[in-house]
Amino acid sequence: MKTLKRILHIAGNDLRIMVSDKVYFFWSLAFPVLFIVLFGLLYKGGGNGPAVAELTVVNRDQGRWGAYFLEKVKSPGVEIKAVDEEPEAYNRLLVLPADFSAKIEARAAQSLALKKREDASTEAAARVEARLFQAIARVISELVLYGEGDLLKFWDGHPEFRELVRVKTRFPENTVTVVPGGFDHSIPGATVQFIMMMVMIYGGVTVMEDRKKGVMGRMLFSPLSTGGLFQAKLLGRWAMGMIQALILFVVGKVFFKLDLGNVRLSLLVIAVFALAMAALSVFIGSLVGKEDLIIGLAVLLANVFAALGGCWWPIEVVPAGVRQAGMISPAYWAMDALHKLRFFQGDFAAILPHLGVLLGLSAVLSGLAARYFKIRD
Amino acid sequence: MRRLWLILKTDARRHLKSPLTIIIYIIIPVAMTGLIGVIFAPSSGDGTLPPIRVVLVDRDKGLASRLFLGAFDAEQVKKMFQVTTAGEAEGRAMMEKGKASAMVVIPERFSLDLLEIKPVFLEVVKNPAERFLPDITEEFVQTTAVMLSAAVQAFEPEARGVRAMLDAPVDAFPWEALAPELGKAQKKIASAAKYLDPLLLNVKEEKTKAAGAKVNLTRTDIFSTILPGMAIMFLLFIVQTVMRDMISEREDGKLRRMLTTPLRPSELIGARILGGWAMGLSILLVMAAFGTMVYNAHWGPFGYFLTLVVVVSFWSAAFFALMNALVRNRNQAGVLSAPIILGFSLFGGSLMNPEAMPKAFRAVGIVTPNRWFVDGAAAVRDGRFPAVPLLILAVSGLILLLLAVPALRRRSTV
Repeated sequence: MKTLKRILHIAGNDLRIMVSDKVYFFWSLAFPVLFIVLFGLLYKGGGNGPAVAELTVVNRDQGRWGAYFLEKVKSPGVEIKAVDEEPEAYNRLLVLPADFSAKIEARAAQSLALKKREDASTEAAARVEARLFQAIARVISELVLYGEGDLLKFWDGHPEFRELVRVKTRFPENTVTVVPGGFDHSIPGATVQFIMMMVMIYGGVTVMEDRKKGVMGRMLFSPLSTGGLFQAKLLGRWAMGMIQALILFVVGKVFFKLDLGNVRLSLLVIAVFALAMAALSVFIGSLVGKEDLIIGLAVLLANVFAALGGCWWPIEVVPAGVRQAGMISPAYWAMDALHKLRFFQGDFAAILPHLGVLLGLSAVLSGLAARYFKIRD
Repeated sequence: MRRLWLILKTDARRHLKSPLTIIIYIIIPVAMTGLIGVIFAPSSGDGTLPPIRVVLVDRDKGLASRLFLGAFDAEQVKKMFQVTTAGEAEGRAMMEKGKASAMVVIPERFSLDLLEIKPVFLEVVKNPAERFLPDITEEFVQTTAVMLSAAVQAFEPEARGVRAMLDAPVDAFPWEALAPELGKAQKKIASAAKYLDPLLLNVKEEKTKAAGAKVNLTRTDIFSTILPGMAIMFLLFIVQTVMRDMISEREDGKLRRMLTTPLRPSELIGARILGGWAMGLSILLVMAAFGTMVYNAHWGPFGYFLTLVVVVSFWSAAFFALMNALVRNRNQAGVLSAPIILGFSLFGGSLMNPEAMPKAFRAVGIVTPNRWFVDGAAAVRDGRFPAVPLLILAVSGLILLLLAVPALRRRSTV
């Protein structure tokens, strides 16, 4: 009991030192919130494309069909920006030629040039293209139905196009009922990423500094064993990760109406994930002797894990091979478990494999960290 | 001058003795570029999205549902969608495992209702964990629904006829009587063919660069676009690490000892700034060389690129010189520099496609070196001289230097 008290005391002290550091609030709150806002706004529109895809249109058509076609293109997800001349800067540009109507009236086939900037969003381009194809399908359907003989009569009025086949969209039963917001994706992503960064950087650097400055050596004057000290360091770093997650979840709940699905199970996932990261941080801090190197390693690992694990972009746009490779990232298991809880209202059984993998990883990393844990250089 | 060179040489030798940190900071942007490039680079020339996995649940198994399923068999559509036919429970399980983006449910009586010209609904069940591919599926099904609606309206009498025949006994009416009806249908098909074969309206895609020049986006283009943003981010990290010597020497008393020699403060300051500049320049060139060797990245005319690299490295050195003059100690420098660099990178377009960023983020981005370097590198890739980015980086860099030197002199006085 006394040993546990001592371990808790040291872990609590590590935590207190970290929280009293001014920069802690940048790493744990300000920067993650910037990330959350940026990626949350990005995901509002789906993928990493903008919420409304812009389409610049130069309508040179001399007749009425150009305007009619553009009416069909309009939709809440596509913003048409009409200009007189082809501009220098655009993301997607559609030019309706002067003989657009004439060709339709002559029933002559024509191809419309859709110019896409190579560096513009692929998702926004796909949305615009889908809308253009729909508009083409509508116009051609109307022409087939009501365009017999002289096409000028088309404008005199015709029966309304009946949408006999309609499309209903929904989510699978017993999952979500409303479209998940961008923040429902970005907050778990930023939380997982910053737990990795924070715990690895802070946890690793402080383990290294405590060893180099002889703090750990002096701690052994207390009745604490090396094993006890290792457990205290591990616990302190685990608590760092948990505090980081709690801060972001609370901010997410208060400011972005975050819905985690099952909060208790989400916290369990984060707890196991934070344990793995805590073990990794002690391992890195025990092996490496330079602050800059620990920071570099932590940034490299955290970013690679975050990218592979689906913290930055929707995992569905990732090629199948990379998706499979992503399974080596602990972030993948945490993110997938959080997705199951949030989007499929998953229960404990649904996330059991994820918890198993993360616990296994924690055990392996803790073993390695214990093996290389040093009191003095 | 000789003393300045001596300091520069000593510093370089010292940094190269333990180069692991610098090597890691070079590896990070190259690795991240590789990862992002592999994820977003097109595997073929026709698009950058993976095939969308869709589950089709056919509860109708009639004429219209087969017509609908046939839409997924068109050559272009096949490339876009990977279709599996399954039951609803299996479809849901596939979505949960991330193996399907959407499920399209064709309801019972779909064909019969259409033949009776009654409105019908196709259901698109979206994977709630995905954000983009389910929407594309919905758009495709919408397009197909429009075409199916048009076809049913165009052949309304024929559809009603077929419906009547389905329920009637085979010998209810003479089949010879159908000939005129078939004739009418044939005329309609011929009339529709005028619009459909060849398709009256089509869209031809062209990929363009800013000035409108046609390009084909390749894997190499993706790497060339991503690497400059990543490179400038980690250039800033490296330059700040190297230039932090200025503070540590002040803190641990080395500066005092150095100034007891015939070394003038201006020489020491000059050597430190030059050292940061030279280190930044070398690192950026190494990153560019790595990019060329590993990813076949292209940078445009080398002279233009080198000018840009020289100027942005100068800016970085001047910026961190000023910062080191203003902070009190190494700890404070560490506290401030990482957030500043990450802020620059977040707003300046190092971490994502600037078009996708909210307007406010883009507006803040113009005060970051990342934004001007990324813009400049894009201009150089297009073969243009990056006049505006160079001017902005050079002028702001000079201002930073003019502010930094007197401030550093004050801090270096013993």
